[in-house]
Amino acid sequence: MDTILQGIKEGFYLILQMDAEIIEVTVLSLQVSLTALILSALIGIPAGAASALKKFPGKKLLLNIVYTLMGLPPVLAGLLVYLLLTYRGPLGQYELLFTPAAMVIAQVLLATPIIWGLTARAVMALEQNVYDTAATLGASRRQAAFTLVREARMGIIAALTTAFGRVIAEVGAVMLVGGNIRWATRVLTTSIVLETRMGNFSTALALGMILLMISFLINLMIIMLEKRTFRYDNTIQIT
Amino acid sequence: MTIPFKLHNIVKRYQEREVLSIERLEIPAGEINAILGPNGSGKTTLLRIMALLLVNDEGRLEVLGEKVNWSKGQILRLRRQMSMVTQTSYMFQGSVYYNVAYGLRQRKVSESGIKRSVKEALEMVGMSAYQEADARTLSGGERQKAAIARALVLKPQVLFLDEPTSNIDMASAAEIEKHILAINQNWGTTIIMVTHNLFQAKRLADEVIFLHEGHLIEKGRAETVFDQPRDERTAAFLRGETVY
Repeated sequence: MDTILQGIKEGFYLILQMDAEIIEVTVLSLQVSLTALILSALIGIPAGAASALKKFPGKKLLLNIVYTLMGLPPVLAGLLVYLLLTYRGPLGQYELLFTPAAMVIAQVLLATPIIWGLTARAVMALEQNVYDTAATLGASRRQAAFTLVREARMGIIAALTTAFGRVIAEVGAVMLVGGNIRWATRVLTTSIVLETRMGNFSTALALGMILLMISFLINLMIIMLEKRTFRYDNTIQIT
Repeated sequence: MTIPFKLHNIVKRYQEREVLSIERLEIPAGEINAILGPNGSGKTTLLRIMALLLVNDEGRLEVLGEKVNWSKGQILRLRRQMSMVTQTSYMFQGSVYYNVAYGLRQRKVSESGIKRSVKEALEMVGMSAYQEADARTLSGGERQKAAIARALVLKPQVLFLDEPTSNIDMASAAEIEKHILAINQNWGTTIIMVTHNLFQAKRLADEVIFLHEGHLIEKGRAETVFDQPRDERTAAFLRGETVY
């Protein structure tokens, strides 16, 4: 317990010191995970909505695969990306292994099924009535699909926060494909592993605290955005 | 005036079960048409086919002078001349203004045009004070009035009503009926209304259509059908007896 308290204390001290390396690691973590989140949202939201709204052979199987991939172990995602990007791999010529780009690709692999699957569920939870209302008010198919996504946005926001939580906190994939190279691919989670192994528990705890703070701030931003766009309180009144 | 709806041998099945089979039906323009019949008689199915929300399995459907081929472009063009209010109208998340403006936005009307039209529509149904209210917090009666405003703001040629007053109190229902009559009389909008309420049909309808087990059993001027029904099943329904 003493180690933890001492660690937290030293952690605060480290944060206040604004150490250049810690700042660099934090910024890279944010860059990699936010880029991965944006790319995954660009793929996952339309794919989720389309797979919920369209009828096609193998739909159930596809959704089942997506749901399964929501639980893809990060280290396995990392391994797959590693094999793709390694010198002898199919994408080896691009020399992306051990770069932040490789880390983004691995995180996209982890975040996309989450956004896809949860968006599909949120859209499928809507009733026929919603589409009918849009259609009878003159919405085209595309406009009606946008309306359905808009009506399912609470679920989609949940998908985005879940996906972000997953990628910012994962260590297996970024360790494998990034290599935890100082000043190049070292992020918060890989630094925590490293510092822990070296016995620098207070530094590891400080980094952990920064990680949690980032998550808190990003989620706060999403909630604020929600409040601004949604204006109306959808809380169920329980008396 | 062209006949807005012509149906020939329209059949609809769910799985193997035939739920609607209409040999011939023409709906006159500019009138209030009530579709009556017991539960499961196919009223809503018929309404949804005419509103182009449900594809018929057999037969020929003509809507607003066009033979329906269910192409995307045609459906959108025809749907944009019609609108619908259902029993429990779904309100999109957002304000009453957002909801009433919705159809105009899909038609790419300018924001100033939308503002003017929404204001007018809300004034018509006495809902001006609710413009900025959360549409999800409206009472049943207010919700239906907002739904009427949302439909009439589009100045449709045809307005479908699926039991528009069945979930609201009598005072609100009377108000909604007043608006239905006004829309029909002021703009000549063809109204096609499914209702369980015989009194409402008597008060509003020019023309009534009786359905029974998916078949059209009687159609005619409201006063005639209500006073002298030709079909025994219609007569039994009007007497309030259960019809089998």
